[in-house]
Order: sequence, then structure tokens, then C-alpha cells
Amino acid sequence: MNGWTGKILRINLSDSTISVEKPDQESYLHFLGGRGLGAEYLWKEVGPEVKPLSQENKLIFMTGPLTGTKVPTSGRFSVTSKSPLTGTILDSNSGGLWGARLKKAGYDGLIIEGKAEKPVYIVINDKEAHIKEAGWLWGKNVPETTEMIVSREGNGYSVACIGPAGENLVKISGIMNDQSRALGRGGLGAVMGSKNLKAIALRGSLPVKAADEDKLNFVLYETNKWIKANPITSQGLPEFGTPVLVNLFNESGIFPSYNFQESQFEDADSISGETITEKIFVKKSGCYGCPVQCSRVTRTKAEEGEGPEYESLWALGPQCGISDLEVIAEANYLCNRLGLDTISTGVTIGCAMEMAENNMVDLGLKFGDASLLKGLVEDIAYRQGIGDDLAEGSKSFAAKYGGEQYAMQVKGLELPAYDPRGVQGMGLGFATSNRGGCHLRAYMVGPEILGVPKMVDRFSTSGKAGLTIFYQNINAAMDSLIICRFIGLAVSEEYFARLLTAVTGHQYQPQDLHVIGERIWNLERLYNLREGFTQLDDTLPERLLKEPIKKGPSGGHVVNLSPMLTDYYRFRGWDSQGVPVSRKLTELGLEVK
Amino acid sequence: MHREFSQIGRDLFHQGLNSSHSGNMSIRLGDRLVITRRGSMLGRLKESDLIETGLDKNDSHITLASTEIGVHRSIYKNTSALAIVHAHPVYATALSLVDEEIIPIDSEGQYMLHKIPILSFEHTVGSEEVARVLPEYLKEYKVVMIRGHGSFATGQLIEEAYQWTSSLENISKIIYLTRTLQGDIKEKKSEKYGQW
Repeated sequence: MNGWTGKILRINLSDSTISVEKPDQESYLHFLGGRGLGAEYLWKEVGPEVKPLSQENKLIFMTGPLTGTKVPTSGRFSVTSKSPLTGTILDSNSGGLWGARLKKAGYDGLIIEGKAEKPVYIVINDKEAHIKEAGWLWGKNVPETTEMIVSREGNGYSVACIGPAGENLVKISGIMNDQSRALGRGGLGAVMGSKNLKAIALRGSLPVKAADEDKLNFVLYETNKWIKANPITSQGLPEFGTPVLVNLFNESGIFPSYNFQESQFEDADSISGETITEKIFVKKSGCYGCPVQCSRVTRTKAEEGEGPEYESLWALGPQCGISDLEVIAEANYLCNRLGLDTISTGVTIGCAMEMAENNMVDLGLKFGDASLLKGLVEDIAYRQGIGDDLAEGSKSFAAKYGGEQYAMQVKGLELPAYDPRGVQGMGLGFATSNRGGCHLRAYMVGPEILGVPKMVDRFSTSGKAGLTIFYQNINAAMDSLIICRFIGLAVSEEYFARLLTAVTGHQYQPQDLHVIGERIWNLERLYNLREGFTQLDDTLPERLLKEPIKKGPSGGHVVNLSPMLTDYYRFRGWDSQGVPVSRKLTELGLEVK
Repeated sequence: MHREFSQIGRDLFHQGLNSSHSGNMSIRLGDRLVITRRGSMLGRLKESDLIETGLDKNDSHITLASTEIGVHRSIYKNTSALAIVHAHPVYATALSLVDEEIIPIDSEGQYMLHKIPILSFEHTVGSEEVARVLPEYLKEYKVVMIRGHGSFATGQLIEEAYQWTSSLENISKIIYLTRTLQGDIKEKKSEKYGQW
């Protein structure tokens, strides 16, 4: 096989067994890898009786057929599990080096099951895997854990690990890899912590070959031409990182602040990509095989770290009414060290601030008070004081204190940095996302704000269902290849299909990727339905449906969800309750009883 | 400003100098420039299709700017131009594939442009090489062809840059048509313009 190794490593932490299995070729061809193959495994192995933080839940690490190849941004890997935050199917993917090294160690994926009696970490070195005692690592933060493992095991290892937040089963904790890359969303850190698994260190030196090197080189040449020509991938992101979006989205009135009470932030420019570059930028950094290099190392007066990315900057900043760039950056570094999802952390704190201002909780919190931010982040990671409640996420926190309407979440996952009242398709994307409030499933700001591939009327609901489905499907395929969303800003699925063909030797057309994406989307939907989710969960916080934006370029708008949702179910080939009909499942080759 | 951009954009499209989504235009405003949005339709420009950003410095609006912004910036920084029109004129592009330069054979073309250089590049879209080389030619010529790609014309106003683009295409049509007629051209004034 080319592209795939054909091998999955399975490690059971309960009985310390390590085995290698070979998925059938049909699984690879139908689900590719990454998110797709992860969904297939989770569907088969983790049923509705399994509690997310029980030993029966699994952590499914997957690469894709393009991982570790010469394809730009192909260093990515994904982790699939049942989310302790949402109860839905969850996958998250990350860049850095770890994914490429898993492939080069000889495996397409790694399935972790069971629970170790005591803390352990796993070491994989070119096909060989060992489970080792990790008592000496427990309690350490992410950089400490990474450095201690590399120091003991030797150079050339990439480390994915949890920080104290994951150990403490914080439901908004992530898994961190290569120090500051994050599988951030949905509480994967807590799942890893519940298994007493502190880290997985990888070293791999096996070649990742393409079936047709000449063809691959030619398609790469054409792909790189566009990456270099497109101002987003060649200038905006490399020069300013993802915060390049701050001023643009603020001017458009889709940059939420004060827990989505406003759709603009008065001090946006003080935290913009331009200001970051001017004031705290140290150097660029980036993932394996990435020409964009959108990450950056920054330095405040007190410390140096990576980030903040656009979403993190927003969540720890304007979402909480905070405009002090240094405090935001330092809170971001702290989240990285402790292993917390920056989006969920900031949104949950913003929720608590609004509830405090409305006298629903007595926490002494108020919007704009930067002095408490870092302390709150620590409290969440260590479940100290009110942090113990915040560690459950905004939905649970708000419900406990009677303020459900203040939790800006979908299916329990906190919303990211886009006010969907000014981008209707984004609203539909949030509401229908299989893992809850996520911007990456459809990323409708592409056509609605960035004009990629074409500009559409962002306030109109017309045609949005079809477009949202289109992007949800193709993005599911991208998450299975796995390549970064930003490459999709420069080239289309036509290029992805040609790259996949050249790497694997199997003929793929762009339409094949849409069908694969649709298959993955439907399987994820079936998973959630099996878990008890219904069409009532395909919704948005009441504020976004009923409270018009007060002023600015998006003033007067709410999300007009209902007509889009009706179209969405119909266009998906689902019934009016949002359940895939058997004809659709047969068409997609999903044999589900 | 929008009115001028939209009128000339529409004319460029209706004259066949651009396809539905091709081409771009800009004007210089001191240390800023206004350029058409990436992927916009020049024949139907809206106000939101005009993107302002720095001449030297990027800002967040770079994410919306035309793919050719690097070439536009380089032209402004190296010439006295205040406006640029980039188009994909069909006849001129066809000639660029078979000729070394375009020498007008019609009287108006000879008066106006004398000669249009044709430059070859490996990468033609959003290319750093084009950005580096093209301004040198635009210091001397009003309009220059990129082989197999399209034209860049400069002026003090967008209307002026449009005029050179339109003239180039007329010149090219006349050359093309006379070649198809396969008759002898009676006056060969054009030969001397090769030295222009």
C-alpha cells in the first residue's frame, strides 16, 4: 500500500496488551483515515452504554493517507472519542510533528483502550511500542512533561501529552502535542486522564512513499503555485498569523464580545494581528511540511510562548471584555501549559462574568477585569474553588446556577469567535455540527466573508443549506486526508483528489471526496442519534435566535435558523426529524442496523 | 471612487478584455492603495469589492485583496503610476503566445503605443518574479503583455490605464485579422517601431 501503512496499533492499558491489526481495504477506501476511520471505529466499538470517562471509552489516534508525505500541511493527525463535555462523537485534529512521526513509525493509527492501574506513558519507536510507568510525570505541565520524556528517551521524539487539566478530568481539557499544538476541543484531555495515560512519545524513521512520485511532484508544483499566489496563504497568515482576521471580522460586525452581547469590540485594534506583530511577535513557527507558517512565538514582558491564535485571542480577550494583549497572551500560554481548550475556557469564563454581573453567581467577576483571568485558568485546571464548576464547561456551569441562556454553546461545546447573526450560514453550520459549536465543520465565513471561492450575501438564508452541506462534506474528507483547512483557501478539492491519487495509486475524483465526506457526516449523525440526540439539539443559544445585534454593520440581525434547517434536512436526504433515511444510507454504503 | 471602478470594470468586461471573474484594477492613494477584491467580477463591482490596504505594509485587508496585489505594489513603488489595470485581452494574449513583441500595424496604435513588449515568466499569477521585472518595463511602456496571461497597463487615472488596455486589444485584433486575410500589407510603417 502507498499512503497508508495498513497497520493500526492497539494498546489495552487494563491488561497491558499491545497488538497490531490490519483494517480491510474497504475501510481505507471508504473512510480514508483520520476523522473518517476514527468515526468507523468508534461506531463499532463504543456504544451508547459507554460513559465517556469510563475505561470502555477509547482514544483513537489516526493519521490520513497524506500524513507524512510531501503534501503541504500534511503533518496532521486526529483523535476520535466520545466527548465527556458533549456526549457526542468527537474528533479533533492537530498539526506539529506528531502525526507524521506516527506514520513514519509504521502505523496509520493507534487505539488506546482500557485504563492503567497507575499513571503510564507510551513510547513508540519504529514499530516497537512499550508502556512505561509515569508516576514521575504525573502533575507536571505540558512543557515539563515533554522535556522530561525527551530527556529520558532521547532526541527525535514527538510527545503528545496531557497537563494537570487532563489529569483532573477537566471536561474542557485537551491533548497537547509538540509542546503547543492542541487537540483542543471537547475534553479529549480528560478522556486520556481517565485512562491514567500521561503521554505518548513517538519516533519514526520509516519512509512514506507515494505511488506515483512524478505525478505527485507535478500536482504539488501546481498546488504550491496557488498557495504562493493567494494573499491569504502567502501574506496574511504568514505575516500576521490567524489574528489577521480580528480587524476584518470586527469591521464586518461578526466579532463577538462580552459573551455575544455585542458583535464588535471597541478595542479590537489593540489585540489585532497587526498589533501582535508590532508588539509581541518574536518569530514564526509552523507545522510539518507547511509553507504558510501561521503560528508565532510571542513574548510579553514576563514570558515567552506560542500564540495566541485567533480563536484563543478572542476567547480570552473580547469574549471576556479584556483588551490587555499581554494578559491574554499569558493566559494563552498558561492554557497551553496546563492543557486546556482556550476557546471553551474563555467562553466559560465569559459566561460566568455575565452571570456574575446579573447577580446569578457571587464571584466578584466582571467583564474587562484582566486581573483575575490567569487565576481563573489555574483554578479550572486544578479544579480549585469555583474552577471546579467552570471545569465542567459553560452549559453545565450555567445550568447549575440557573442561567442556561448565558451559556454560548451548541450541544455543550462552546462557540468560537464568529457572531452568526452576521453570517447566517455560519449559524446553520454551528447548529448542525456533529461535535457541537464548531467553526471548522463548515467554515462558512469562507464564502460569506472571505469570498472563498465566491462571495455570497452573508445576511441571506437563501442557498445556505446547500452550501453548508457542501462544506461540511468536503471538510470531513479533508479531516480524513488529513490536511489543514487553510490549504482549502488556496486550492479546491480538485487538487486534493489528484494529490490523493498520486499518493495512494487509487483513482480519486473530486466527487469521490464529497461522497466520502457525506458518508462520514452521516455516520457521525447516526452516532449522535444512537446516543439520544435529536433534532432539538440542532439549535443555537436563544440570544442568537432572538436578540438582534444592537448596532454596527450586522445591526438588527438574528440567525434565521428555522428555514435553513428545514432545507438542510431535506437536502441531506434526512427526514423532517433529522434522521437519515435508509435510502440515503444505502446510497452511501452505510449498512446500519 | 466606486463609480469609476465599476464603470471601467463593466466596460472591460463588455469589451471582452476580461472574462467573468478575471482581471483587477487599483489606484494609489499616497502610502495606501485601493484594489479590487480577489475573485470579484469587474463587470459588477460593488463597494465592498474595493479593498484598501497599505502600499508597503500589509494589514488584515490583505486577506481580501486581489491575487496580483504584489505586482500592483511593485509597480507603484517603482514607477510614477497612480492607477493600474490588469486584463486578459483575448487577441493580445493569443498574439503573445506566437510573437516576441506586439508592433501595431494600424495608425492609431502606432501613434498611441508604438510597441508592446511581451515578457515570459514561469509563474504568471501573483508572481514575485513578475513583480520584480515588470515595473522596469512599465517605466518605459504604457502597457506590457505577460505571455499567455494578460496585460498590465498604468496611468494617472484608471481611465487612462483602461485606454491603453483597450488600444492594445484593438491593435491585436487588427494584426490578427490582417494575418487571416493573408494579403500583403501595403504600408510597412510598423517595422521601425520594433526599435521603440
